[in-house]
Amino acid sequence: MEELSQHILDIAFNSLEAGATELTISVWEDIKHNLLQFEVLDNGRGITAEDITKILDPFYTTKSFKRVGLGVPLLQEAVDRCGGNLKIKALPPGGTSVTATFPHDHLDRAPLGDITGTLITLITGHRQLNLVYRHRYNRQTFIFETRQLKTLLRGIPLHTPEVLVWLKNYLNLKIIDLRRETNEEFGRAG
Amino acid sequence: MKSLDELDKLRQKLQQDMQVRDNDHEVRVTVSMGTCGIAAGAREIVQAMLEELKEQGLNNVALTQTSCVGLCQHEPLLEVARGGEKTTYINVDREKAREIVRKHLVQGQVIKDWTNPEK
Ligand code: FES
Repeated sequence: MEELSQHILDIAFNSLEAGATELTISVWEDIKHNLLQFEVLDNGRGITAEDITKILDPFYTTKSFKRVGLGVPLLQEAVDRCGGNLKIKALPPGGTSVTATFPHDHLDRAPLGDITGTLITLITGHRQLNLVYRHRYNRQTFIFETRQLKTLLRGIPLHTPEVLVWLKNYLNLKIIDLRRETNEEFGRAG
Repeated sequence: MKSLDELDKLRQKLQQDMQVRDNDHEVRVTVSMGTCGIAAGAREIVQAMLEELKEQGLNNVALTQTSCVGLCQHEPLLEVARGGEKTTYINVDREKAREIVRKHLVQGQVIKDWTNPEK
């Protein structure tokens, strides 16, 4: 995979396959501390310590355990390539968090890439999903929540292609803005 | 904020449009979204499909996703289901995705050349 946002999509897709209905995707970029971190947090079936070892093994493939696949080993490889760090944690009430940390300026760090495409794809394929996206760039934060958007739509389905294309442009704009350090939170002016 | 104004206009327009109903989908398009599908560009296919569905004004297509279908060498891959008929397109790219919307979904023509495994 060429982009971290593809890894994020893959990990999040696994969460949804594990029955998650709530997903929080966070990206932190801290230039001063040379840090790029992302976290995918879900309320799916959760994971055992034993399974955590297994999902890191690319040769472990059992169809009964949906989180297994090439995805996590590939992410591990992307992390190792630039001296980063990967943590997979079971959350007490059920659910899992996957956190990957990278040196921001490392030449072998994959770019974040098309994060908007990742979010749109998740939303398009999963009607019941409540998604929260949080992106912090230095001291600016952008937050997007599908719940809020659904309220603004007042009954128009979020899955209408026109709405999703609007959303794609909106997210692109907001994420570019974030890097320009001018920011408003989603929905504040709405 | 300009873009939220746009959303509001869009919402009003769609509200008047009687075509927008959430549940009576005539056609279902399923994009395979396993790890190798994503690596091969499945995410770009979803976006191209959305753009073309928007352009063609098709609101009655359910765009869904499935996990690995075990055909790595043919990714990106998608299936169109219409009535009882199912068609699998292989090695799809952005342009092919748009063409599938125009030919298959709008005109009802299966594009046979893209359904056979390329050897
Ligand atoms: S591993 Fe599933 S299609 Fe390739």
